[in-house]
Amino acid sequence: MSTVAEAPARVEIDARVFNPYSKDFIRNPDPVWQKLMAEYPIAWHKDLQMWIVSSHQLCDDLLKDNRFSPDFRMWEHAPPPKAEADKNDFDKAFEKGFFAVSPQQHLRMRKLTMPAFSRPVMMKIDEKIRDLVVDCFEAIGDAEEFDVYSTLATKIPVRAIARMVGVPTNQEEVFHEFAVNVIKSTRINLGPKERDVAMKATLPGFAFFRELITERRNRPDPGSDFLGSLVSARENGEGLDDYEILSVIFALITAGSDTATDLHTFLIHGLLKNPSQYELLKQKPELMENAIIELLRYGSFGKMPFFRFATGDYEFGGQLIKKGQGIGVNIQAAWHDPKKWGVTANELDITRRLDGNIVFGAGAHFCIGTYLVRVQGRLMLTEFMKRYPNAELADGDGRLDYEWTHHNARRINRLIVKTNAAAAKKAA
Amino acid sequence: MGQWICLICGFIYDESKGLPDHGIAPGTKFSDLPADWTCPECGSPKDSFEPYNG
Repeated sequence: MSTVAEAPARVEIDARVFNPYSKDFIRNPDPVWQKLMAEYPIAWHKDLQMWIVSSHQLCDDLLKDNRFSPDFRMWEHAPPPKAEADKNDFDKAFEKGFFAVSPQQHLRMRKLTMPAFSRPVMMKIDEKIRDLVVDCFEAIGDAEEFDVYSTLATKIPVRAIARMVGVPTNQEEVFHEFAVNVIKSTRINLGPKERDVAMKATLPGFAFFRELITERRNRPDPGSDFLGSLVSARENGEGLDDYEILSVIFALITAGSDTATDLHTFLIHGLLKNPSQYELLKQKPELMENAIIELLRYGSFGKMPFFRFATGDYEFGGQLIKKGQGIGVNIQAAWHDPKKWGVTANELDITRRLDGNIVFGAGAHFCIGTYLVRVQGRLMLTEFMKRYPNAELADGDGRLDYEWTHHNARRINRLIVKTNAAAAKKAA
Repeated sequence: MGQWICLICGFIYDESKGLPDHGIAPGTKFSDLPADWTCPECGSPKDSFEPYNG
């Protein structure tokens, strides 16, 4: 009877379809992802209170669509704006950050910071962090077995970033806590109290970095390292202010510390679970960069999707998304989409053509730490292959365990590698 | 023959090399790429690029 154009019927799911916190999902997410992509490529999740977008095509489209913002303040349940006088360093840095500024301002910031993040600069970072990686392996030595998580994954990323931004070695633990809290401060899957506690815990870290920036500004030459290049960056005579630089450190941490923990465990797990691929990489190390991206795609370690927020009422993927609603861009599922990757979507193939992949996101907010990830991964895997060419997963599965309650990732927190180092030495 | 950098992801388009895997012949000037061409790394539009003198 109705003649009024109606919004499309809302497709809804709940935790029975997708529960990112369930142990079954964390152990074996693929059946859930395949169901989401096949039956619910876009759906409102009644329990998570957000849209979940899962197919490769829709995730790619959404990430490139500026109507959907990564600015947490656009969320319908975001805390109310603070008065200027009440804003702390976290608030001020967030406001100046990549996720919060206008598209024009975002491009300006990317331009100013690009020298610090570009591939050529990151290749030089290689020299600066190589010894950190080697030191981690030296500590393992010729052990018959070792745990990838505690010896490599918890150490390399945070040490690498700490060194990049000039944090002294003895403060790395504090820095790691800062990094975790920065990420937790805007996670919409956490409660407001937990977010607030995390945000307050970041403040000493922000104070530390402000001092570091001031010290650099006071030098006759701020230096050509990461922080120095941010301090001296200029566009039409205008540079980055302190909070913009803090926001860049904020972005670097988000992209490259806690998240990169999973990089190392999943790289080694993926290769040793597929010995023929490990063998191939040893024979053709020139495949390394492709292998790292493919291993990330294959391992797909995320638990929670990326978040975006609708800046207006928009139809997308045949559904009406209302202003302020949260959207979970389920790129982890998309990385296994057979419509994009064919029947081998769930297999590891380090020779795979990865054109159009969204492993590091897509569009304006493409992962700023992408080359840092590749450098770290390459350094670690090269050293691993050199030292343990005959490595295998202990007891067949690496006695794998997960940190079930991690807020963001299907975090492997135990992965035991059998090195077979002594046998190789004896044979040699 | 120059180079152009994507301000979003750092991808460098080298005019002398082109992108043969993507059907762009060596020697193709950046200005001659189609208007709807996007960065092969991050999918950003052509106006996200600027000349690069690395």
